[in-house]
Amino acid sequence: MAKPRGTDGSLLSSLPWTIGALAVSVAPHLPHLPIWVIAAFFGCAGWRYVVEKRRRPLPSVWLRAGLALACFLGVFATYSTISGVGPGSALLAVMASLKLLETRQRRDQFVLLFISIFLVMSALLREQYLWSLPYLLVSILLIMTAWLRMSATPGETARQSFSTGSRLLLYAAPVAVAMWILFPRIAIPFWAVPMDTGTGTSGISDTMSPGDISSLSMSDAVAFRVRFDDIVPEPRDRYWRGLVLTVFNGRSWSQNDPGEGPRSYEEVEVRGEPVSYEITMEPTRQQWVFALDMPHSWELARTFMGPQHQLARATPVDQRIAYNAVSYTEYKTNVELSTYARSWYLDLPDGSNPRTQALARELRDTADSDEAFVNSVLNKFNTEEYFYTLRPPALGSNATDRFLFDTRQGFCEHYASAFAILMRAAGIPSRVVLGYHGGEVNPISGHMTVRQSDAHAWNEIWIDGHGWYRIDPTGAVAPDRIDYSVNDPASEGVGAAWGFRVRTRLIHNITVTMDAIDAKWNQWVLGYGPENQSRLMEKLGMQDPSWRKLMLTMVAIVAVLIGIISFLLALRYGSPVKDPAALLFQRFTRKTGLEPRVGETAAHFARRVRDEQALPADAIDSVTRAYHDARYGPKDDSALQRLKEAVAAIRQPRLRNLSAR
Amino acid sequence: MSSITWPFPRPRSLLRSLRTGAQARAGRWARKRQGLDPSITRLRPGRVYILPTGVGVVFGIMAFAMLLGSMNYTNNLSFVLTFILIGIGLISMHQCQRNLVGLELGFAGLEPVHAGQTLRIRIAVTNYSKNPRYGIRLYLEGVQTAAQDLKAGESKIFTLPLLTHKRGWLALDRFGVRTLFPFELFRSWAWLHMDIRGLVYPQPVTEAPEPPPTMVSHGHRQHDARGEEDFAGLRKYQVGDSPRHVAWKAYARSGQLLSKQFAGADTSSQWFDFDEILVPDVETRLSILTRWIIDADRSMEDYGLRLPGAEFPPMHGDEHKRQCLEALALFEAGSA
Repeated sequence: MAKPRGTDGSLLSSLPWTIGALAVSVAPHLPHLPIWVIAAFFGCAGWRYVVEKRRRPLPSVWLRAGLALACFLGVFATYSTISGVGPGSALLAVMASLKLLETRQRRDQFVLLFISIFLVMSALLREQYLWSLPYLLVSILLIMTAWLRMSATPGETARQSFSTGSRLLLYAAPVAVAMWILFPRIAIPFWAVPMDTGTGTSGISDTMSPGDISSLSMSDAVAFRVRFDDIVPEPRDRYWRGLVLTVFNGRSWSQNDPGEGPRSYEEVEVRGEPVSYEITMEPTRQQWVFALDMPHSWELARTFMGPQHQLARATPVDQRIAYNAVSYTEYKTNVELSTYARSWYLDLPDGSNPRTQALARELRDTADSDEAFVNSVLNKFNTEEYFYTLRPPALGSNATDRFLFDTRQGFCEHYASAFAILMRAAGIPSRVVLGYHGGEVNPISGHMTVRQSDAHAWNEIWIDGHGWYRIDPTGAVAPDRIDYSVNDPASEGVGAAWGFRVRTRLIHNITVTMDAIDAKWNQWVLGYGPENQSRLMEKLGMQDPSWRKLMLTMVAIVAVLIGIISFLLALRYGSPVKDPAALLFQRFTRKTGLEPRVGETAAHFARRVRDEQALPADAIDSVTRAYHDARYGPKDDSALQRLKEAVAAIRQPRLRNLSAR
Repeated sequence: MSSITWPFPRPRSLLRSLRTGAQARAGRWARKRQGLDPSITRLRPGRVYILPTGVGVVFGIMAFAMLLGSMNYTNNLSFVLTFILIGIGLISMHQCQRNLVGLELGFAGLEPVHAGQTLRIRIAVTNYSKNPRYGIRLYLEGVQTAAQDLKAGESKIFTLPLLTHKRGWLALDRFGVRTLFPFELFRSWAWLHMDIRGLVYPQPVTEAPEPPPTMVSHGHRQHDARGEEDFAGLRKYQVGDSPRHVAWKAYARSGQLLSKQFAGADTSSQWFDFDEILVPDVETRLSILTRWIIDADRSMEDYGLRLPGAEFPPMHGDEHKRQCLEALALFEAGSA
């Protein structure tokens, strides 16, 4: 007889759970997956369920092979690669769909559950939010329940599986927490991290071409959060130094290549009080590490300071990082500038922006000193018709000429670029600094949030006898961009400074609260790294925490926890359920003074008691009969009551034995 | 072209023989360590063994890969996921072992069978804890029972099928109880060595020669046979008496089982004699006798059995049949 071709419905108790677990683990990928992958996944899941429900046969081998080939080609065509989180999760989703179609046995679902674990993990690699942890717990619980359903006997209910799953997850939680805290965090990647994960937005780019961008993104996304140890700098001092651009090619500003340009480190003489703080920085996929101007010291592995005091990391910041730093808002750089450096900071390409250069020479001739010249330029921005706008018109070639004389609309990059060119044309060494300016103090947690929309560009010019000096020409045009008040929470925040967003107090409060929670979450959970860990360990009393010590501590604590849980399990299974009838019979055996033998039945024991002890035979018989009725008869309490009375009627024979002796 | 035989053991068969060898050694070690178990045995923690399953090994490799991935991406939430999975793996190891510890296994009887039939050994498994136990299986080499759940305080009978080949006593040296609960990542098991023996009757031949002729005797043989003509009185019930002859009314009055006796009946009986069968082979003779006994019992006739050294006078009934078959099962040539 041919094998029945249809499915037998034996997977009906577990398949819905498996499909549910898969759907939950696919859910966070939905915004990133191509639409056909989503359609394939849900199509296959629905199809497979109907097949099982109606006892239909599974699709044929050829159909499945064709679908598999089409799907893999589809993924390759969509991404033109198969490595990385994006294509990886698409491949996993496709594999899950195809595997569903050939899931014939119970055990095939193991593969599906392994796939859903990997899908959850790739969702976490892609992005981490406040809700990622609850999501992770829910999906693990679902996967574990589906797993239990898969291996359950037909009599076991879904509720039982779910409660077993939750119980085991509850047991695993303290173990996981201990491992998470103590597992040594080593900041060395084993393999190159693909750059395509969705995270990493930055308001900062490596080059600055004011003419090209005709609008700046107003992203509310957090760039980094700062927790000051004591001193919070004044709003006018909140310049977060990033990278320094020294080369202008007529169109855009860029950094000097590592092999050229002034390389000698500029000495800094610090003044005033140090500001120490901790920054939790969101991933940018760039090397730049931001610190308050002027950074003095920092605690972050593989991070170095360039000659112009820009901090950079050896590898891109592709995960949230936390670091401590100390800065001085008052400082003075050294007063020596080599001829080579001076010529580097004065370099302008020949013939670019001729009108700007002419203007610079003209203004310089009328000014008495460099300081007077700088003031006259700032004054020009301030008093003439220049506008600060985030949507300036595009400029084309000789962008600065067009900006200064024609359009007169721009944002910080336009002003910084124009200012630097004017300075260089007039013989004053200058450069452009990119970073962030500002920061909103959260009234609940006290930390400061700096957003991508706070990205800023300003200048540094060289004044003889003074050194590098920070000038922010945008401040001359839009002083409130630089100096907004911190005392009015309703007007704080990004758009509010420019007056194009009015938030009600309620929404503002919610936003501020969420921001405070998010900050703590980022600082302590998502940004928990080698620095945080060793600080926490030192606080907990571990001296000089090394990875070896951490590992040993972790193993010891996990062993203790497992021991406790094992004990709890033993308690759970250990204490036996005593039948009330058995308990009463036990009392009877104690009264008789005889020990029941292993495997001896109640009737045998009674016979032995009758033979060996001086007890009335009918009393023993009534105990035995009532015991049998109570244990094996129909369940009612009358037999139990009779047994209780019969046992109570037995007198201890021991005394009589003693007196007889 | 002649093929040259592979001079070395094939890897797969080598692996298998290594595996069976290791299993046999582990079995002997456990037998020596645990000794013979009483017929009701409560599983102590020290005799419940545990090893990861194939799925468990894959799970471990996956967790390790996830740990490497989390370290590489220094992603704290995927660390959380990884450590939860590792924690679940560690917990499920203990849970798996605890699912067996404290179970009580007891031998609950078996029925003799004929050689070639399957001996069904009943084992009662009792869960005395206040927690249910899931997915419990009993197993022998090569066979396992379906998985069953035991509620708190519940007792269930598992039936182990043991194939029989020849007559005589068949001893069950060892059986096991195992579970994969909760996640099939680990298999924990316990071996039990109880003194369980089953009697295997000889296999009845399919084509038996004609049984010896029936002898009919008339009347007055009350002691040997019970005819069904005239009611002669009551006597104490004996195992093997027909339920139709039980004096139910007397039972209702006195609570004592009595059988009605009839006198003067014609009784017929046959003697099955080992020495009269003209087949040289002892086993075949026993099989023929077995067939005759089964047929005679089915047609409710009286029959007697004569073996060298033993004689069972003509009677019928389950007890008589049992005695005869037992004698055949344990018959040893030359013992007479």
